[in-house]
Amino acid sequence: MNLSFDAVDIKYILPLIILFTVSLVPVLVKVFNKNKEPGKIYNFLTPMLGALIAAGASAGVGAEFLSKGISSKLLFSGALVMDGVSVLAGILVSLCLGFTIVLAKESPSINKNQLSEAVFLLMNAAVGMLTVLWANNLLVMFVGIEMMSLCLYILVAMSMELKLSKEAALKYFVLGSFASAILVYGIAFIYGAAGTVYLPELITQINATLLSNGYFLLGLSFVLFGLAFKVSLFPFYSWTPDVYQGSSTPLVAFMATGVKLVAFVALLRLIATQVLQFQEAAVFLQVLQWMAVVTILVGNIAALRQDNLKRMLAYSSVAHSGYVLIGLLAVSSSDGQVLGASSVLFYLFSYVIMTFGAFSFLSFLEKSHESALMISDLRGMASRRPYIALSFSVLLLSLAGIPPTVGFFGKFYLFSAAISEGFYWVVAWGVIGSVISVYFYLRPLVVMFMSDEQGVDVEPSRLGTQNIIFITAILVLVIGFVSNPFYLHIQSAIKTIF
Amino acid sequence: MNLLSVITFLPILFALVVWFLPNEKHVRPVSLGLSIVHFFVSIVLLVKFDISSAGLQFVEQTPWVQSAGISYFLGVDGISIWLVILTTFLTPITILGGWTSIQKKTRGFHVSIFVLATTMIGTFLAMDAILFYVFFEASLIPMYFIIGIWGGKNKIYAATKFFIYTMLGSVFMLLSIITLMVLAEGQLGQMSSSLLDFYKLDLNFLPGQFLSTQTLLFFGFALAFAIKVPLFPFHTWLPDAHVQAPTPGSVILAGVMLKMGTYGLLRFCLPLFPEATAEWGWIFLALGVVGIIYGALVAMVQPDMKKLVAYSSVSHMGYVVMGLFTLNAHGLTGSIFQMLSHGISTGALFLLVGMIYERTHSREIKEYGGLAVVAPIFSIFFIIVTLSSIAVPMTNGFVGEYLILMGTFMVNKAYAILAVTGVVLGACYMLWMVKKVFFGPPGKLIKDFQGKNLDLNKTEVMTLLPVVVLIFWMGLFPGHFIKYTKASVDHMINAKQGYYLKIEGRQKKVATIKYKSTRVTR
Repeated sequence: MNLSFDAVDIKYILPLIILFTVSLVPVLVKVFNKNKEPGKIYNFLTPMLGALIAAGASAGVGAEFLSKGISSKLLFSGALVMDGVSVLAGILVSLCLGFTIVLAKESPSINKNQLSEAVFLLMNAAVGMLTVLWANNLLVMFVGIEMMSLCLYILVAMSMELKLSKEAALKYFVLGSFASAILVYGIAFIYGAAGTVYLPELITQINATLLSNGYFLLGLSFVLFGLAFKVSLFPFYSWTPDVYQGSSTPLVAFMATGVKLVAFVALLRLIATQVLQFQEAAVFLQVLQWMAVVTILVGNIAALRQDNLKRMLAYSSVAHSGYVLIGLLAVSSSDGQVLGASSVLFYLFSYVIMTFGAFSFLSFLEKSHESALMISDLRGMASRRPYIALSFSVLLLSLAGIPPTVGFFGKFYLFSAAISEGFYWVVAWGVIGSVISVYFYLRPLVVMFMSDEQGVDVEPSRLGTQNIIFITAILVLVIGFVSNPFYLHIQSAIKTIF
Repeated sequence: MNLLSVITFLPILFALVVWFLPNEKHVRPVSLGLSIVHFFVSIVLLVKFDISSAGLQFVEQTPWVQSAGISYFLGVDGISIWLVILTTFLTPITILGGWTSIQKKTRGFHVSIFVLATTMIGTFLAMDAILFYVFFEASLIPMYFIIGIWGGKNKIYAATKFFIYTMLGSVFMLLSIITLMVLAEGQLGQMSSSLLDFYKLDLNFLPGQFLSTQTLLFFGFALAFAIKVPLFPFHTWLPDAHVQAPTPGSVILAGVMLKMGTYGLLRFCLPLFPEATAEWGWIFLALGVVGIIYGALVAMVQPDMKKLVAYSSVSHMGYVVMGLFTLNAHGLTGSIFQMLSHGISTGALFLLVGMIYERTHSREIKEYGGLAVVAPIFSIFFIIVTLSSIAVPMTNGFVGEYLILMGTFMVNKAYAILAVTGVVLGACYMLWMVKKVFFGPPGKLIKDFQGKNLDLNKTEVMTLLPVVVLIFWMGLFPGHFIKYTKASVDHMINAKQGYYLKIEGRQKKVATIKYKSTRVTR
């Protein structure tokens, strides 16, 4: 492999460079300032600006592609690829980072004496995420995932000085490392069998002979399961509620959205190699169907019994992974690729918006780093904070897939992609799951609007968090009403990866 | 002017007006005024409607989600026109019905009522399946809040049950709609969710087999609508919802929302799946009959007036479903007429029960007795509405039930004979209740109120007067109402196989939409 690269390539990875450079600012200021926590300018404004510029840089790449009519560009001898998906998901990850920094600044659950370190780690996790999004090579993908995960392990551990968070950190670290090991082991097998880990080359290599090679199948299943851990698909989901519960809420918002988005994009790129289209891989398709169905059911049924809002949303995010997997099934069949992949990406984007909004709501209400927000704590929200309560309701209804929110159209696209590929029974379970989910998504609504007693008082000072809730709720409605331009945009981005 | 859009979305505008009204005291009168304005706007529709045409009128069509062929497509024909008017007619009555009974959060209540009105009208006017689904589902949210916030003791259970039960049916409808859209992509060359395109589809049907495309799709739709109607055995959410809902909520629920189910059967199931309807229609005829008798029998033993009226709804809606599946002109006309008259008379019954409950705080039948003495005007109204509900000639209830029974008799005499017993049973439980509540020796409750004036005030009389006028108008001159539906019903019967709908006065803009022009012959 030719390892030289064009200096122009640097231009395309500017978001990475910006994020990394800016991430150093708060910690360096702290170090040179006798370990005193720097002020708002370095801890908040600079990283925010960095995130926004990174998003802008990604958008700039997209604009350049559009104006020149290029669909995708390989960088660094094909290790990274810049295409529509990289650009769109990159923008979203950068924005998520920005929002997370706002939450982190205002949340009581992040130790304000370690804010600069937290920001440093968050930004580097985002660097890892961007690497995964752009990876065109299984090893680069692995490096990105590890970079992201290592930052997150530390972030979870430094969340709160609570037993719960130590337990969460240890659990996440042990299980996560285990999954990473399986992932890299699988990559090794794939390399051994196919002679390459470079995705475009893999596409040309894949044929019936390769798929009858047991080592290759073993490698493939390891890679799939390693990624399934990251997106918490059944049976690799059990860490999710515990880790989410033990971590600070802003971090959870970032993990539940960013990590899922990039890991699913990685899965999408893997499945887009059409590896599952062969008869020999039919068993994978079977397994994935069952995983989707069971994930949806387990997530939704377990969420029914949660009184802790964070755990409820954690299980709901498990269930949503199952829905995305339904779309991935459509991608894996021969002629539903573009339809399936666009529906997956549309759903992921809408999921990111709604979930981020929902976790921001939790962050808005938390009183101290120890408080665990119960559903019953929301009593009387509607009379105290009507607009916040309304926004949270919109977000929940969207998560439940009630029209005319974006959650409904996301599910609509997913289901229509799956139905046109003939996955009727999977979709039938999917809709049954969404009926079950309505019950627990309605519970906070019941408490907020229908009971008259007073619950916890709200701290009124979290303006940024409040605005994030409003922005996400409005986006959920607006994209719900006019989903078409967004969908078309995503579709044209998807066409660049096939 | 886009009349249908105006009628559909005017209430949303009103909701915003009410929400931002500076003084909460003005909410009630302003809402009442606005809803009456809305009613008169909808009358324009009635005036301009061309009764000789069976096609869609006042059509508006703009692409909404082009990538999936979903369009914003509204249209009205003889089947939907009266349901729209029913909604706009009942909205002011509901607001009056909540005049004194809704005490907290009045602003939110009126906003919910207006949003609900939009979603219901949208359901009746939408000619695009996804748009229909969006309105159909969205109507759950305001109703959920109305039951859950302003409801009775067990409101949360009832509201949640209502929401989840209805949703359970409608997700399978969504599944069926998506399947039809995918089939449209195969047969018409372009994904589309327009009903007119769905009518063109050729759906595979295997007689006697459950697992054929058309049968499965038919049941996918029918389940959603059967739950909404509610058809026996899917009716269990209804008594809970009705008893817990506040009076205005019950009125709108019984008056309009249940009709969304029967309307859906008429708009989707019958014309889309003619073979499956012919093959499996007997199930619905039978369930309709069972519902009529079961509802009546259960109503007979209810100790609670509101529950009695709720079960009478199950019985009356059984007639509507039965009439629809007779598949002849009498049955269909009767069903459409019965939808209207049930909306009016059951709505009025819920209002009346609510009015008396406000005074005595009891709905137990056995605690009443001799109410006619202390509340004579109330009694007159109640008895008129009762007579309408038990289908006495010259009232609206008679026309619908008579037509339905005639239609059923033509199809299957056994069902007709069984259904007729429902009329008798209906008279039994209603008159029984009237006897126990209004006549006889003064009951426990009435003794407490001896000498006090329990009678209706002016607002309440004003609320009920239009309803009573309509009861007699529809009973004496049914032709005034049936003439609007006739063309559409005849067309539906004549074009049973291969149903289609023409667009009247199709405008240039509509014709240029790409996916409408690609037509593949069956």
